Amino acid sequence: MCVGLPARVMKVQDGMALVDASGAKRQVSAALLDELDPGDYVMVHAGMAIAKITDDDTAETDDILEDLN
Amino acid sequence: MVSEKKQTALDIINAYQGPKIRIMEVCGTHTHEIFRQGIRNILPPQVDVISGPGCPVCVTPVGYIDEAVWLALQQGVTICTFGDLVRVPGTKMSLADARSQGAKIEVVYSPLDAYDYAKKHPAEAVVFLAVGFETTTPPSCLAVLQAKQDKLTNFSLLVANKTMPMAYEAMKNNADVFLYPGHVDAVMGTKDCENMLKEGVSGVVTGFTAKELLTAFAVILTLFPKGKPFFRNCYPRVVKPEGSPAAQKLIKKVMQPCATEWRGLGIIPQSGLELRDEYAAFDARKKYNVPKMQGRANPACRCGEILQGTCKPPQCPLFGKVCTPEHPVGACMVSHEGACSAYYLYGGNVR
Repeated sequence: MCVGLPARVMKVQDGMALVDASGAKRQVSAALLDELDPGDYVMVHAGMAIAKITDDDTAETDDILEDLN
Repeated sequence: MVSEKKQTALDIINAYQGPKIRIMEVCGTHTHEIFRQGIRNILPPQVDVISGPGCPVCVTPVGYIDEAVWLALQQGVTICTFGDLVRVPGTKMSLADARSQGAKIEVVYSPLDAYDYAKKHPAEAVVFLAVGFETTTPPSCLAVLQAKQDKLTNFSLLVANKTMPMAYEAMKNNADVFLYPGHVDAVMGTKDCENMLKEGVSGVVTGFTAKELLTAFAVILTLFPKGKPFFRNCYPRVVKPEGSPAAQKLIKKVMQPCATEWRGLGIIPQSGLELRDEYAAFDARKKYNVPKMQGRANPACRCGEILQGTCKPPQCPLFGKVCTPEHPVGACMVSHEGACSAYYLYGGNVR
């Protein structure tokens, strides 16, 4: 149940977003996120987008390892 | 001058020569992903990964299942629930057993789906089983707000939502470093992790891809031998220091902290959530006068110790013999986020 699904936003309307999670499409609540646009990536938990994903994991982890040195 | 080759996370992990270290993952999805990606196999032998109380279904006590079964069979309500609660054994029976006795159990993906179901079926009294941590609490709160706005009278929640900070407190002596749950922190921010750091407790928050998990282990194995407590956000693409203020506000509007029982950990003050008085009409315990239930688990089941990281699944006498994913005895075998289910599924990787 407590599984986060990364998904791409396809359409935003009336506080809801149609998202595509690796091909599975469904409506989720977008009530927590301002300024959500089609093409954005979000993390979805139990039918609600809880956060925007702002980068990919390669850039992120490269930066973190860089900072370690 | 020879330029140094950039060290990868894997290089750092492989080169670890530091002291023995216990790393506790506090998220069921971390438990499974670390197994599934074979990361346990590449960690040096002195690195011990232990599973903490981060699977919401697993920490839900037996008495809660008994309450849901009572509501379904004695009150005839329709239970809407996340699928992995259905087969968790109660004292006498699971919800799946109750269904075979005529109870109506609907599996939903989201609390908002339960709300939709109630709206479409006005003749049924619908109770949603609200379990979960900070990640699943916001949609439950939103469902309550929508129900109140729509004056929906056939919808209520059996609330057993929990919050992580007090569980970190309870677990802090069982591990050297916490691997904090990425999506709890996406909602709550890193304040609680910083507070643990002030107490001298180390940790990193990370995501769920192979790169993120390996990087998190590399960070831990670099910083731990230095001896100074640390906290690092290794998941900044999702976790912001402030978390999601909108989600925090939503939770606070609808729910308030209370003491709650965790399987294995007992009652922890301020670690649970209950509906505020103004939403009492949506509180199934009040609406149906649910009697107090002291659940009783199978006495041989060691889920309680497994959730505290003091026992590993193969050390339980039931594991893999009478307790399997097909016939689970304890909650940790039922849920796909449970430690026992991960050990069973990826048994070849056990260490």
